[in-house]
Amino acid sequence: MSNDFGSVDEVIEQLSAESYVADRALATVLFLSHRLEKPIFLEGEPGVGKTEVALVMARIFNTELIRLQCYEGLDSSSALYEWNYPKQMLHIRLLEQKDIRVADMEQAIYEPRFLIKRPLLEAVMRSREIAPVLLIDEIDRSDEEFEAFLLEVLSDFQITIPEIGTIKAIKRPIVVVTSNRTRDVHDALKRRCLYHWIDYPDFEKEYKIVLARIPDIEADFASQITRFMQRLRKVDFLKRPGISETLDWAKALIAMERKRLDEEVVAETLGCLLKYQEDIATFKRDVWSDSGQRASYL
Amino acid sequence: MDRGPHISNASSYRKGIAERVVRFALFLKDRGFKVYQNSIIDALRSLLQLDMGSRDEFMWALRANFVSRDEEWNQFGELFRLYWGEKEDSQVTGDGISPGPQPSNTEETVDDGETEGLIENTGEGDNDPVTETRWLEGVAYSALEALEKKNFNALSNNELQTAQLALRGFMQPFKLNRTRRSKRSQKRGKLDFPRIMRESLKRDGNPSRLYFKEKKRRLKRLVILADVSGSMDRYARFVMPFLLGLRSIGARAEVFVFSTSLTVITRFVRHLSLEKALERISREVPDWSGGTRIGFCLRQFNQGQGKRLMSRRSVVVILSDGWDLGGREILVREMAALRKKVFCVLWLNPIESDPDLRSVCRGMQAALPYIDHVLPADNLQSLRRVGHLLSRLMVH
Repeated sequence: MSNDFGSVDEVIEQLSAESYVADRALATVLFLSHRLEKPIFLEGEPGVGKTEVALVMARIFNTELIRLQCYEGLDSSSALYEWNYPKQMLHIRLLEQKDIRVADMEQAIYEPRFLIKRPLLEAVMRSREIAPVLLIDEIDRSDEEFEAFLLEVLSDFQITIPEIGTIKAIKRPIVVVTSNRTRDVHDALKRRCLYHWIDYPDFEKEYKIVLARIPDIEADFASQITRFMQRLRKVDFLKRPGISETLDWAKALIAMERKRLDEEVVAETLGCLLKYQEDIATFKRDVWSDSGQRASYL
Repeated sequence: MDRGPHISNASSYRKGIAERVVRFALFLKDRGFKVYQNSIIDALRSLLQLDMGSRDEFMWALRANFVSRDEEWNQFGELFRLYWGEKEDSQVTGDGISPGPQPSNTEETVDDGETEGLIENTGEGDNDPVTETRWLEGVAYSALEALEKKNFNALSNNELQTAQLALRGFMQPFKLNRTRRSKRSQKRGKLDFPRIMRESLKRDGNPSRLYFKEKKRRLKRLVILADVSGSMDRYARFVMPFLLGLRSIGARAEVFVFSTSLTVITRFVRHLSLEKALERISREVPDWSGGTRIGFCLRQFNQGQGKRLMSRRSVVVILSDGWDLGGREILVREMAALRKKVFCVLWLNPIESDPDLRSVCRGMQAALPYIDHVLPADNLQSLRRVGHLLSRLMVH
């Protein structure tokens, strides 16, 4: 597969070859991010396929995906690099028996082989051969301090290790940053990225996604499921189901060897769609108790 | 590719586009968008990468560069149409992005000498001022809201300074915790290998002592919902310094004021000086000293901004006398929803210590089951107690 996007059309083509259905707007942004070598910042409700973008990009460019899952308390030693202290300690013990000067010993234990590469350093060093895809997932879960580490990496793709020096990427990795908006991400970080908001898909798009991702589904069944989901998202839930729920549900139904939706199977598999007890109660009370509504959903 | 009739050669066309894109960036900035200098440059670089024949791609490229949050994302489409004209024009691509004479609505924001354009377009400019005011106002008005605005000058300088001083003491606990975030510890938590290593180098690599580290302590997010309705009027002298004092808590405090509807004032209290903040708040809060609909405002919070702010790491402080003209049911429902999502809810009540008044406020009674702490807030001493409690609750 080629390692370059020639045009927006080519992006769409390659995405769909990897069974990712993207609208033209997203394809345009991916194209620009590739051409301008800028990270792409994706926001959207959970389960609309933000992370999937990075996975697909890695497949398209036939390269490695390096994933950094953010969490509260993530610090530089688990995101950038860390010295392997126990190993250094052992090495010192071995060197002691050889009667070596302290200065040489220090030199010896700060060799790159004692360095534990965490995702960001990995991404910078790996790109010496072929640019990897770096996925920084759910950045909003990390602390504000952590964003500061990212700035150096995202703007210059270089990491400074005091004992070794500055390591600079020769080929810039493709960076995808995702956020669920549980907090605001700092401007300095957003400034360096191209922004895209992934919305819940419309019928057309969701239908295409179901067909693309679940090859052995019948078209009628897919359209029935999609119609159901589109309606379901109009209800005021705590957490509206995303695309990933649609796909999970469709897979579950196929595993149950169903060919059509009926009232019984919907009630049985509600857990695939709604993940809060309150939402399930709301659905049963406001929607499923009414026979007219039930019929219009199916 | 058809580039429309006006364009004589490519370079002047490009220059015209560049200029209009820069103006568009300023146009967005005027409407509260955060547009960065490098975004403008990158937007122009993006355009060079694309086939300019497609208006949609043109829009998406600008959107990716100029938008940085979902509120901006939602507004962008309309602002784009407002600035670049409607799609239904006869030459879709040509008119949409041509550097020729512009529709007059852009002229209103971009002050330069292109008066010819203005005169030429007076015919179609008739309905533009309407759209323009709608955007400039930004805040929706309703019949319920009293439009008169609070004059903060009534607050004497002396009073403010005293209150400020007291509040600085009250904020002390937060600052302490922020600076005390080093993580060495006596004997607790995980082994601090880097430190053991460093120390051992002095003794030829013999680790002679074990060091430990523990998790940094950090602050929860503070969300303030302050009632500024008519009944709270006489407590305004406490409310305002309290809100302004929150600036010092830094990036994790969010401040809202409400009466009949909810307004965010975080950006004023955080970035502006005291005087400027007061001036901006009195100008931008449309219903200062209006009626109260606590339930409705909580609903606004829960369904809007709150989604982003509510988590088990948030402490919500509601500052209100509990005098509610809205429905009781909605208040109870929204309080329940709020309570479920956050770490704890505090209610600061300026009339809590007055039993006569307290019994009158039915809104308060209905919400009580969902409140963790009810505290009086009628003098500086009680505010200090609030400070102590908050400093305990905020650290985790």
